[in-house]
Amino acid sequence: MEWQEVIKRLLQNKVSLFGILIILFFIIVAVFAPYIAPPRDADEPYLIPRGGWSIQPQPPNEEYIFGTTEGQYDIFYGIVWGTRTAFRIGLVVVGISSFIGISVGTIAAYYGGFIDEIIMRITDIFMSIPFIIATIVFVTILGQGIGNVMIALITFSWMSTARLMRSQVLSVKEDEFVQAAVALGANDFRIIFKHIILNTIFPVVIQASMRMGSMVITASTLSFLGVGAPEGYADWGQMISFARNWILGVEGNPLNYWYTLVIPGAAITLFCLSWNLIGDAFRDILDPKLN
Amino acid sequence: MISYIARRFLILPVILFGVTMLIFSMIMMLGPYQRLSTYIKDPAQLKGAEDIDQLVEKFGLDDPWYEQYGRWIGGVVKGDFGWSESAGAPVTKAIADRFPATIELALFSLIPVILGGIILGVLSAVNHNKTLDHIIRIFAVVGWSFPSFVFGLLVLMIFYGVLGWLPPGRLSNWAYEIIRSTDFVSYTGLYVLDGILNLNFKIVVDALRHLIAPVFTISILWWAFILRITRSNMLETLKKDYIRTARAKGLAENIIVYKHAVRNALIPVVTVAGQMVLGLAGGLVIVETIFNIRGLGQFMANAAQQLDYPGVLGGALYYGFFLILINLFVDVSYAVIDPRIRLE
Amino acid sequence: MSEEKLVEVKNLKTYFYTEEGVVKAVDGVDYEIYPGETLGIVGESGCGKSVTSLSIMRLVESPPGRIEAGEIIFGGKDLTKLSQKEMRKIRGNDISMIFQEPMTSLNPVYTVGDQIIEAIILHKKVKRKEARRQAVEMLEKVGIPLPEQRVDEYPHQLSGGMRQRVMIAMALSCDPKLLIADEPTTALDVTIQAQILELMNDLKASYGMSIMMITHDLGVIAEVSDRVAVMYAGKVVEYTDVDTLFEDPKHPYTWGLMNSIPKLDKDVDRLEAIPGSVPSPLNFPEGCKFNTRCPLAEGKCFTDEPPLEAAAEGHKVRCWRYEDLEKIKLRGERIYADGGVDK
Repeated sequence: MEWQEVIKRLLQNKVSLFGILIILFFIIVAVFAPYIAPPRDADEPYLIPRGGWSIQPQPPNEEYIFGTTEGQYDIFYGIVWGTRTAFRIGLVVVGISSFIGISVGTIAAYYGGFIDEIIMRITDIFMSIPFIIATIVFVTILGQGIGNVMIALITFSWMSTARLMRSQVLSVKEDEFVQAAVALGANDFRIIFKHIILNTIFPVVIQASMRMGSMVITASTLSFLGVGAPEGYADWGQMISFARNWILGVEGNPLNYWYTLVIPGAAITLFCLSWNLIGDAFRDILDPKLN
Repeated sequence: MISYIARRFLILPVILFGVTMLIFSMIMMLGPYQRLSTYIKDPAQLKGAEDIDQLVEKFGLDDPWYEQYGRWIGGVVKGDFGWSESAGAPVTKAIADRFPATIELALFSLIPVILGGIILGVLSAVNHNKTLDHIIRIFAVVGWSFPSFVFGLLVLMIFYGVLGWLPPGRLSNWAYEIIRSTDFVSYTGLYVLDGILNLNFKIVVDALRHLIAPVFTISILWWAFILRITRSNMLETLKKDYIRTARAKGLAENIIVYKHAVRNALIPVVTVAGQMVLGLAGGLVIVETIFNIRGLGQFMANAAQQLDYPGVLGGALYYGFFLILINLFVDVSYAVIDPRIRLE
Repeated sequence: MSEEKLVEVKNLKTYFYTEEGVVKAVDGVDYEIYPGETLGIVGESGCGKSVTSLSIMRLVESPPGRIEAGEIIFGGKDLTKLSQKEMRKIRGNDISMIFQEPMTSLNPVYTVGDQIIEAIILHKKVKRKEARRQAVEMLEKVGIPLPEQRVDEYPHQLSGGMRQRVMIAMALSCDPKLLIADEPTTALDVTIQAQILELMNDLKASYGMSIMMITHDLGVIAEVSDRVAVMYAGKVVEYTDVDTLFEDPKHPYTWGLMNSIPKLDKDVDRLEAIPGSVPSPLNFPEGCKFNTRCPLAEGKCFTDEPPLEAAAEGHKVRCWRYEDLEKIKLRGERIYADGGVDK
C-alpha cells in the first residue's frame, strides 16, 4: 500500500482522526508555548514559575487558571511547557532507539548465523531486566536530568524494534524480488537499504507510534518516582509527584486538591491515547484481518 | 521437547553472565568513591580507615576491570551486595525482608490479569464488530494509555479518600499488632497465606482488602495488553479450516469457541507471557510506591531517590535473576501446552 | 431414475453482500442426488461449486453470505428453513463433509481419536469407551495401519494422505446418508489421490451412501461419478450422466474442459484450454455468462440468458447454440485452437 493511501485512510477513520486532532492540539501548544505561557526568565523557560513559597496547593484562580500545586508551582505553565518536554522525550527517544533497533535487527537477520546469534543473545540480556527497573538504575547512576533520562530510555528500548525488524527482514529476505536483486549483482548495502527496509518499514512505524506514548509514560514515571526531571522542571510526571501528598484532600472534602492530580494526569493520558489510537488505526489499515 | 528445554537451560548461564556484566558496567560508570559503597557490608568496616584513598586501595577499586568484576561476582555469588543506606541494612537482608510482599502482590495479580484479559479478548472476538466488541476495544486502548501512577492515585483518591473502602499498606494497624504478637507464626510472610495457616481469617480478609486496589491498578493495564493479543489470535483461529470441520461435525457454537478455538488461540498468548511478567514486575515499583507496600519495588524506588547505589544495583540484579527463572518456566510450559513442540 | 430423491436442490441462490457489491456466487442452481449415487460437480475455481455444498450444510459465513432463495429438500424437510440448532443434528450425522486441505482441517491440539470420538458421542449418544472402540474401527476401515496406536496421535504426526483418511473416518463415523467431498484429493500427491478415490468408492458401496463430489478435475469426475453437473459462474450449464458427458458434451464450456485434459492415448501436440478467465462475479456479462470466452457466441448470446433445457433424454444444457456445436463436432472441427475462433 502506498503512503498516500495510508494517510488518506487514517484521516477517514474517525478513531485515528480523533487521535490526530489531539496530537495537532498538543503540537500547537508546544510550538506556541512562549506565547501561551510566557516564561518569566527567557533563559530558563522550562523552570516553572512559583506563585509563592507556601507548600499548600491553591485552587484555580484568575492568575493561575489551573491553580498551583505543592510549592506554588503554576500548573498551567507546567502543562504547556511540559508538552514540549513530552514531545522532546518522545521524538528523541523513539527516533534514536528505532534507528538503533532497525540497524541491529537488519544486520542480525541479513547476515544470520553467528552474528545473528550474538546479537540476539545481547538483545535477550538487555530484555531480561524490566524496562522501568533498568531505567531507574541507569538514571540513578547517571544522575538526575532530562538528558540522562533520555539516554537511559534509549539504552533499554531498542530491543523490541530490533526483534521486530529482524523477523520482518527474515521474511522479506526470502522474497523473490530480493533474490532477483542479488542475482542481478546488487551489492549488500543497496539490497539492504533499497529493498528490505522499504518493504518492512510499516510495522516499525506502527510500533514507533505506540512507543511514543509508552516512552513518555516511562519518562514521567521516573520523574514521579523522583529520579527523572530536577525539581521545578516543566514535566508532567513531576507535577503528579507534587500531587501525591494531597490526594486525600482535607477533613470533610477529600477532593479538595483534585486539580493537582487530574489536570496533569489528563494531559499525559490524552497524549498517550492519541498516539495509541493512531497506531491502532494504522495497524488495522495495514493488517485488515486483525481488525 | 527435551532438546527444546535443554536449549533453554544451556542459554541460561550466558544470560546470567550477560546480566551481571550489564549491572557491573553500570557500577563501573561510577567514580571509585561511589563504587566503594557497593563493597561495604557494614558501615562499621569504614571505621579505622585513615582516609577514603586507603579504602579504595583496600578494596582494589583502581585494579583493572576484570579483576574488579571477579571480586564483585565472588561477592554476588555469596549474596553479598553491599550495604543499603536507604534500608539501613545489608542489601540481601533488605530484599529478603521485602520479598514476600512483592510475591504476594504478584501472585494475586497474575490470576485476575490473565483470566480477565483472556475472557475479555474472547468475548470481543466472538462478538466481532458488535457493540460489546467496540466497548472492549475502547477499554483496551484507554487502559493501555493510562499511566499506572495516575490511575493508582485516582483509585486511592476515590476508594480511600472519598469512600474509605480500600486503604493503602498491606494490613490495618490492629492486624499488624496481631501479626507481630507471639501467638502468630509467620510461615511465609505472605499475609493471606499466613492468616490461613494460623486459622486467623480476620487477617486473611484484611490482607485481601488491602490487595484489591493495587491488583486493580495493575490489572487495568495488563488486561488491555492480553485482551488485544487474545482477540486478534481468536479472530485468526476462528477462520481456520479445523473450525469449519468442527462446524461440519455438528458441534454447538460454544463448544467450537471454547474447546476448539480458545486453546489454539492461547498458544501464541503464552509466548508473550514472558514479556508480560517483565512488565508486571516493573509495574510493581509504581504500585508498591503508591499504595505503600513494603516490597522489592518500593525498595528500588526509595533506593534510587536516595542515591543508594548498592540498593539499586542489588535490587536490579535480584529482579533480573528472578525473572530469568520465571521466563524459563514460561518457555517450558509453552512446550507442554503445544503438542507440536511437546512431541518434537 | 424413478427412485426417491435423497436431496433435491431447487433454484438455490446464495449471495454475498460485500463492500464492493453483491456477489451472486450461486445464482439459481437445480440438481438432485439419488440414494447410493455419486453426483460430481465440476467447474473452475469461483464458479460457486463450493458455495453450493456449504449452502447444503448451511455453513455459509453470514454475514456476508446469505441463502437468498430456493429450497434444499432432504428427508422431506427444507434445510434452508431449519434453525441452526436443527441443522446441527443433521451435520456430521445425516450429511458429512470433508475438505480440500487435510493439513489444516484437523485441530492441531487434539488427537485424531479425540476428534472422531467427539462426533460419535455427539450424534450417537454412546459412552466414551464405546465411542473410542468405534473410532478405532473406523480408522481401520479407512485403511490406517495400527489404528489402536494412531488413534492417540496428533494430526501433525500423520502424512497428508493419512489425515485425509482420518477426515473420511470422522465423516463416516455416524453413517451419513450423504457425504460431501469438496476437492478431497486436490492437495494430495497423484498416487495418494487414486488411493483416496478408490477408498471412497469402496466405502460408498459398503455404506450405501451418496456422495457429492466437488472438483475442478474431470479425471476425478470420470473416476467416481454417476452423474455430473458442470457449473459456470454460479449456474449449472450442463447436467447429465457421466458417460454421456464424456462422449457427447453439448456445452462449449464442457467441450473446452474436456480438451484441457491431456490424453495418453492420443498424440496431441498442444493442450487446448479455454482462453480468458471466469468473469468477476461483481461484473457478470449480459446474456449468456460464458459469452466472454465462448468461440460460438453471437447475437442472442449477448442479450438473453439461455435456459437449462433438455437437449436429449436425461441431458440438460444451458446454451443457445448447442445444436450448431453438434454440427461442428460432426464435421470433426475444433472450436478452440490457439485461442482462435473457428466458426
